[in-house]
Amino acid sequence: MIRTIGTICGFLLGLGGAWTSVSAQDSGLSQLGQQCAAVGGDDQAAWRTIDWQTDLIVAQQRAVEQQKPLFIWAMDGHPLGCT
Amino acid sequence: MLDRASTFADQEVLALLKDKFVAVAIDQWYTRRQQDSEGEFWRKIAGQSPRSDFRQTQQGLFLAGADGSLLGFTNNRGPERVRGLLQQAARDYTPLADLKPLERQTTDAKYKAELPPGAVVVRVRARVDGGYAPTDDRWEAMFQSAVSRDNLWITAEEQAALAQGIVPEALALRILRFHLVDNTRGEPPVWTKEEVRQWSLSVADGQLTGTAHLETADGSRGYQATLRGELAWGADGGLSQFHLWVDGQFWGSGPFTRQPPPGKFPLVIAFSLADGTDAADAIAPHGSRGWLDGYLKP
Repeated sequence: MIRTIGTICGFLLGLGGAWTSVSAQDSGLSQLGQQCAAVGGDDQAAWRTIDWQTDLIVAQQRAVEQQKPLFIWAMDGHPLGCT
Repeated sequence: MLDRASTFADQEVLALLKDKFVAVAIDQWYTRRQQDSEGEFWRKIAGQSPRSDFRQTQQGLFLAGADGSLLGFTNNRGPERVRGLLQQAARDYTPLADLKPLERQTTDAKYKAELPPGAVVVRVRARVDGGYAPTDDRWEAMFQSAVSRDNLWITAEEQAALAQGIVPEALALRILRFHLVDNTRGEPPVWTKEEVRQWSLSVADGQLTGTAHLETADGSRGYQATLRGELAWGADGGLSQFHLWVDGQFWGSGPFTRQPPPGKFPLVIAFSLADGTDAADAIAPHGSRGWLDGYLKP
């Protein structure tokens, strides 16, 4: 089995370490990675700059510690990961 | 999706959330059912709101004190409405001096799907690539340009099988049934076993190729697509790269994904290995809702 190595894709996606250290000569791979990255353009959106918690208990603990109220985004399907 | 493109695109809402609140995102379908500490705290908050029937959806935006007292609620996506609520709650909130952090006493395993040991998370993004009628409507335009988000889980055993040139049927059916969906306008119906009319998926030399034909019995919804992927493995035998590109013609809609483009329309779905930097990387796949085994062994 020839192990395919792809790194431009990792670089384009902002992935770390090992992914960016490999050769970028695998042209087919980088093209596919670019296509995939292009669909994920929403990943750079403003809403992602919020430090979203995903567990109400952890959020409550932080709210006590920081003396702040809670803002809860409750949806059908996870707001961060569904649709 | 609508919230991400409207409410949370407003700079003032973002600033208020970052400075004055602890923000948390939940799938209330899970939380209102959970018989554990988290579910109990959620029911305390939501029970004070207009969404107090736990048999019904409790979708919305809730503001609450750390003691669980409800400070505000809206299901209106308009940034103006949300901004007003946030400003009022931030102004009026007085934290209780002797309030203690909650301790997690119990966890309802039924509603806490955990990533299996050695499994990897793959981000899945879908986009309708054309076919909508032109629109000047702001909300409609958001739907038309939406990029959906979900996660695919691939087990350690499946990663090893792929390295041996074998595509496990469970993985193939998981991708087909739960991830080749149009979830760009809302929660999608997944495909039943019977609706998987034809598929092929093979891996050789790190290249994944295949085709899929998914269609309901009455033909009202379907997807015919080609799949093309590139994989790489790390020294530990696990996937270090997984890119999959799915391109095809979709038609029809589900109860929560109405108003698709007319007829057949291009739908592309892109898969890329997650790196854990996104809070959403920790979210269980939508298809695993309430039954992880059914997702892992479809």
